[in-house]
Amino acid sequence: MTDNSFEQRRTILKGVISASTLALVAASGLLLPQRVLAHWPMDAFNAKTVEDALMALLGHAEFVDDSVVEFKVGSPPSYAVNGASVPIEIQSTLNDIERIAILVEKNPNPLAMSLDFTPAVKFPFKSMIKIAEDSLVIAVISAGGKLYRTSRMVEVDIGGCA
Amino acid sequence: MGLAAKDRIRAKLKEDETTVRLLLAHPMHTGRGKNDTGELIPAEYIQDIRCWRNDDEVLTIKCGTATARNPYFSFQLLGGQLGDKITIRWVDNIGAKGTAETIVG
Repeated sequence: MTDNSFEQRRTILKGVISASTLALVAASGLLLPQRVLAHWPMDAFNAKTVEDALMALLGHAEFVDDSVVEFKVGSPPSYAVNGASVPIEIQSTLNDIERIAILVEKNPNPLAMSLDFTPAVKFPFKSMIKIAEDSLVIAVISAGGKLYRTSRMVEVDIGGCA
Repeated sequence: MGLAAKDRIRAKLKEDETTVRLLLAHPMHTGRGKNDTGELIPAEYIQDIRCWRNDDEVLTIKCGTATARNPYFSFQLLGGQLGDKITIRWVDNIGAKGTAETIVG
Protein backbone atom coordinates (compact mmCIF):
# COMPACT_ATOMS: atom_id res chain seq x y z
CA MET A 1 0.00 0.00 0.00
CA THR A 2 2.68 2.43 1.03
CA ASP A 3 4.71 1.29 -1.96
CA ASN A 4 1.86 2.11 -4.25
CA SER A 5 1.29 5.65 -2.99
CA PHE A 6 5.03 6.27 -3.15
CA GLU A 7 4.99 5.19 -6.75
CA GLN A 8 2.13 7.54 -7.49
CA ARG A 9 3.90 10.45 -5.89
CA ARG A 10 6.95 9.81 -8.03
CA THR A 11 4.89 9.77 -11.18
CA ILE A 12 3.21 13.03 -10.25
CA LEU A 13 6.55 14.64 -9.43
CA LYS A 14 7.97 13.49 -12.76
CA GLY A 15 4.99 14.91 -14.55
CA VAL A 16 5.36 18.26 -12.85
CA ILE A 17 9.05 18.44 -13.67
CA SER A 18 8.65 17.59 -17.36
CA ALA A 19 5.74 19.99 -17.69
CA SER A 20 7.73 22.84 -16.24
CA THR A 21 10.71 21.97 -18.46
CA LEU A 22 8.50 22.04 -21.51
CA ALA A 23 7.06 25.37 -20.48
CA LEU A 24 10.58 26.75 -20.07
CA VAL A 25 11.68 25.54 -23.49
CA ALA A 26 8.57 26.96 -25.07
CA ALA A 27 9.04 30.29 -23.33
CA SER A 28 12.68 30.58 -24.37
CA GLY A 29 11.75 29.64 -27.92
CA LEU A 30 9.08 32.28 -28.01
CA LEU A 31 11.52 34.95 -27.00
CA LEU A 32 13.76 34.37 -30.02
CA PRO A 33 13.50 37.06 -32.66
CA GLN A 34 13.22 34.39 -35.38
CA ARG A 35 9.71 33.74 -34.21
CA VAL A 36 8.48 36.48 -36.48
CA LEU A 37 9.78 34.55 -39.46
CA ALA A 38 8.86 31.10 -38.22
CA HIS A 39 7.05 30.46 -41.47
CA TRP A 40 10.11 31.10 -43.57
CA PRO A 41 11.69 27.72 -44.42
CA MET A 42 15.28 28.62 -43.63
CA ASP A 43 16.68 25.15 -44.31
CA ALA A 44 15.24 25.14 -47.80
CA PHE A 45 16.46 28.59 -48.71
CA ASN A 46 19.95 27.98 -47.31
CA ALA A 47 20.36 24.59 -48.99
CA LYS A 48 23.29 24.31 -51.36
CA THR A 49 21.84 21.88 -53.89
CA VAL A 50 18.56 21.55 -55.70
CA GLU A 51 17.81 18.19 -54.07
CA ASP A 52 18.46 19.45 -50.55
CA ALA A 53 16.29 22.49 -51.12
CA LEU A 54 13.39 20.40 -52.40
CA MET A 55 13.75 17.88 -49.61
CA ALA A 56 13.62 20.65 -47.04
CA LEU A 57 10.75 22.46 -48.71
CA LEU A 58 8.52 19.68 -49.97
CA GLY A 59 9.68 16.61 -48.10
CA HIS A 60 10.69 14.64 -51.15
CA ALA A 61 12.42 15.18 -54.45
CA GLU A 62 10.94 12.59 -56.78
CA PHE A 63 9.31 13.84 -59.90
CA VAL A 64 6.52 12.58 -62.05
CA ASP A 65 7.04 12.95 -65.75
CA ASP A 66 3.67 13.42 -67.26
CA SER A 67 3.29 14.54 -70.84
CA VAL A 68 -0.28 15.67 -70.17
CA VAL A 69 1.13 18.39 -67.99
CA GLU A 70 2.57 21.35 -69.71
CA PHE A 71 4.14 24.23 -67.98
CA LYS A 72 7.12 26.28 -68.76
CA VAL A 73 9.72 28.42 -67.21
CA GLY A 74 9.35 30.96 -69.77
CA SER A 75 10.10 34.03 -70.89
CA PRO A 76 13.66 33.88 -70.13
CA PRO A 77 15.13 34.35 -73.17
CA SER A 78 17.51 31.44 -73.26
CA TYR A 79 20.13 34.13 -73.28
CA ALA A 80 20.13 37.06 -70.85
CA VAL A 81 22.67 39.86 -70.87
CA ASN A 82 22.34 40.78 -67.24
CA GLY A 83 21.84 37.98 -64.72
CA ALA A 84 20.78 40.44 -62.02
CA SER A 85 17.22 40.52 -63.28
CA VAL A 86 16.05 37.77 -65.55
CA PRO A 87 12.32 37.69 -66.24
CA ILE A 88 10.58 34.39 -65.63
CA GLU A 89 7.06 33.32 -66.42
CA ILE A 90 5.31 30.21 -65.22
CA GLN A 91 2.37 28.66 -67.00
CA SER A 92 0.52 25.52 -66.13
CA THR A 93 -2.68 23.68 -66.82
CA LEU A 94 -2.51 21.80 -63.54
CA ASN A 95 -5.24 22.06 -60.93
CA ASP A 96 -4.95 21.78 -57.15
CA ILE A 97 -1.61 23.47 -57.04
CA GLU A 98 -0.29 23.66 -53.53
CA ARG A 99 3.12 25.09 -54.01
CA ILE A 100 5.56 26.15 -56.66
CA ALA A 101 9.29 26.30 -56.20
CA ILE A 102 11.60 28.17 -58.52
CA LEU A 103 15.22 27.12 -58.44
CA VAL A 104 18.39 28.15 -60.20
CA GLU A 105 20.70 25.17 -60.25
CA LYS A 106 24.05 26.97 -60.19
CA ASN A 107 23.21 29.70 -57.69
CA PRO A 108 24.95 29.44 -54.30
CA ASN A 109 21.53 28.85 -52.77
CA PRO A 110 19.41 27.35 -55.53
CA LEU A 111 15.95 28.04 -54.14
CA ALA A 112 14.86 31.45 -55.42
CA MET A 113 11.17 31.51 -54.58
CA SER A 114 8.45 29.43 -53.09
CA LEU A 115 4.84 30.28 -53.84
CA ASP A 116 1.92 29.05 -51.78
CA PHE A 117 -1.07 28.99 -54.07
CA THR A 118 -4.75 29.12 -53.33
CA PRO A 119 -7.42 28.22 -55.91
CA ALA A 120 -8.07 31.93 -56.43
CA VAL A 121 -4.74 32.42 -58.15
CA LYS A 122 -4.35 31.85 -61.85
CA PHE A 123 -1.43 31.71 -64.22
CA PRO A 124 0.70 33.14 -65.65
CA PHE A 125 2.89 34.13 -62.74
CA LYS A 126 5.71 36.48 -63.63
CA SER A 127 8.68 37.71 -61.69
CA MET A 128 12.36 38.55 -61.93
CA ILE A 129 15.23 36.52 -60.50
CA LYS A 130 19.00 36.63 -60.26
CA ILE A 131 21.11 34.07 -62.06
CA ALA A 132 24.77 33.81 -61.09
CA GLU A 133 26.08 31.95 -64.13
CA ASP A 134 24.85 29.87 -67.06
CA SER A 135 22.41 27.56 -65.37
CA LEU A 136 19.26 25.51 -65.55
CA VAL A 137 16.25 27.35 -64.17
CA ILE A 138 13.88 24.80 -62.68
CA ALA A 139 10.25 25.14 -61.74
CA VAL A 140 8.73 22.48 -59.53
CA ILE A 141 4.99 22.36 -59.03
CA SER A 142 3.53 20.40 -56.18
CA ALA A 143 -0.03 19.42 -56.98
CA GLY A 144 -2.13 16.62 -55.56
CA GLY A 145 0.84 15.22 -53.64
CA LYS A 146 2.99 14.86 -56.74
CA LEU A 147 5.84 16.95 -58.03
CA TYR A 148 6.02 18.08 -61.62
CA ARG A 149 9.14 19.60 -62.96
CA THR A 150 10.27 21.57 -65.93
CA SER A 151 13.47 23.40 -66.64
CA ARG A 152 15.12 25.71 -69.05
CA MET A 153 18.74 26.51 -69.71
CA VAL A 154 19.56 30.19 -69.38
CA GLU A 155 22.88 31.68 -70.35
CA VAL A 156 23.95 34.96 -68.80
CA ASP A 157 26.64 37.42 -69.78
CA ILE A 158 27.08 39.19 -66.45
CA GLY A 159 26.51 37.13 -63.34
CA GLY A 160 23.73 38.38 -61.15
CA CYS A 161 24.58 37.39 -57.61
CA ALA A 162 26.56 40.48 -56.73
CA MET B 1 17.73 51.28 -46.43
CA GLY B 2 16.84 52.23 -49.96
CA LEU B 3 13.26 52.72 -48.94
CA ALA B 4 12.90 56.21 -50.40
CA ALA B 5 11.20 54.77 -53.44
CA LYS B 6 7.67 53.56 -52.89
CA ASP B 7 6.18 50.14 -53.33
CA ARG B 8 3.83 50.16 -56.27
CA ILE B 9 0.81 48.00 -56.86
CA ARG B 10 -1.79 47.96 -59.60
CA ALA B 11 -4.81 45.73 -59.95
CA LYS B 12 -6.97 45.67 -63.02
CA LEU B 13 -10.15 43.76 -63.76
CA LYS B 14 -10.54 42.37 -67.23
CA GLU B 15 -13.43 40.09 -68.07
CA ASP B 16 -13.40 37.71 -65.11
CA GLU B 17 -9.81 37.98 -64.02
CA THR B 18 -8.01 40.45 -61.85
CA THR B 19 -4.42 41.07 -62.85
CA VAL B 20 -2.20 42.21 -60.00
CA ARG B 21 1.15 43.78 -60.68
CA LEU B 22 3.48 44.54 -57.84
CA LEU B 23 6.80 46.34 -57.71
CA LEU B 24 8.53 46.57 -54.35
CA ALA B 25 11.32 49.01 -53.62
CA HIS B 26 14.00 46.94 -51.94
CA PRO B 27 17.76 46.50 -52.53
CA MET B 28 17.69 42.70 -52.00
CA HIS B 29 21.31 42.38 -50.86
CA THR B 30 22.34 38.74 -50.83
CA GLY B 31 25.11 39.13 -48.27
CA ARG B 32 27.69 38.14 -50.89
CA GLY B 33 27.98 41.42 -52.74
CA LYS B 34 30.64 44.05 -52.02
CA ASN B 35 30.43 47.81 -51.94
CA ASP B 36 32.84 50.23 -53.61
CA THR B 37 35.44 49.86 -50.87
CA GLY B 38 35.41 46.08 -51.06
CA GLU B 39 33.46 45.45 -47.88
CA LEU B 40 30.71 42.88 -47.82
CA ILE B 41 27.22 44.36 -47.82
CA PRO B 42 25.20 42.56 -45.15
CA ALA B 43 22.29 40.46 -46.32
CA GLU B 44 19.04 42.34 -46.61
CA TYR B 45 16.27 40.75 -48.62
CA ILE B 46 12.54 40.25 -48.53
CA GLN B 47 11.56 36.86 -47.20
CA ASP B 48 7.82 36.81 -47.06
CA ILE B 49 5.17 38.55 -49.13
CA ARG B 50 1.48 38.00 -48.52
CA CYS B 51 -1.39 39.09 -50.65
CA TRP B 52 -4.99 39.56 -49.57
CA ARG B 53 -8.09 40.23 -51.61
CA ASN B 54 -10.50 41.94 -49.24
CA ASP B 55 -10.20 39.67 -46.19
CA ASP B 56 -9.02 36.51 -47.94
CA GLU B 57 -5.37 35.61 -48.11
CA VAL B 58 -4.82 34.51 -51.70
CA LEU B 59 -1.08 34.13 -52.22
CA THR B 60 2.08 33.79 -50.20
CA ILE B 61 5.43 34.34 -51.84
CA LYS B 62 8.57 33.33 -50.00
CA CYS B 63 11.77 34.68 -51.40
CA GLY B 64 15.38 33.70 -51.10
CA THR B 65 18.32 35.85 -52.05
CA ALA B 66 17.90 35.05 -55.74
CA THR B 67 14.95 37.36 -56.18
CA ALA B 68 16.01 40.34 -58.25
CA ARG B 69 16.53 43.83 -56.86
CA ASN B 70 13.31 45.81 -56.59
CA PRO B 71 11.24 42.63 -56.88
CA TYR B 72 8.50 42.49 -59.48
CA PHE B 73 5.58 40.10 -59.48
CA SER B 74 2.57 39.70 -61.67
CA PHE B 75 -0.25 37.21 -61.28
CA GLN B 76 -3.94 36.72 -61.99
CA LEU B 77 -6.78 36.25 -59.53
CA LEU B 78 -9.92 34.47 -60.61
CA GLY B 79 -13.05 36.56 -60.52
CA GLY B 80 -13.22 39.69 -58.46
CA GLN B 81 -15.10 42.89 -58.99
CA LEU B 82 -14.48 46.57 -59.22
CA GLY B 83 -13.74 48.02 -55.82
CA ASP B 84 -12.06 44.92 -54.34
CA LYS B 85 -9.19 45.84 -52.08
CA ILE B 86 -5.86 44.14 -52.77
CA THR B 87 -3.37 44.33 -49.91
CA ILE B 88 0.27 43.30 -49.85
CA ARG B 89 2.49 42.97 -46.82
CA TRP B 90 6.15 42.11 -46.86
CA VAL B 91 8.81 41.38 -44.25
CA ASP B 92 12.55 41.19 -44.85
CA ASN B 93 15.27 39.24 -43.04
CA ILE B 94 16.10 42.07 -40.65
CA GLY B 95 12.51 42.71 -39.74
CA ALA B 96 11.70 45.71 -41.93
CA LYS B 97 8.10 45.68 -43.11
CA GLY B 98 6.03 47.29 -45.76
CA THR B 99 2.48 47.32 -46.95
CA ALA B 100 0.83 48.41 -50.14
CA GLU B 101 -2.80 48.38 -51.11
CA THR B 102 -4.91 49.26 -54.04
CA ILE B 103 -8.49 49.17 -55.24
CA VAL B 104 -9.28 47.04 -58.26
CA GLY B 105 -10.07 49.32 -61.18
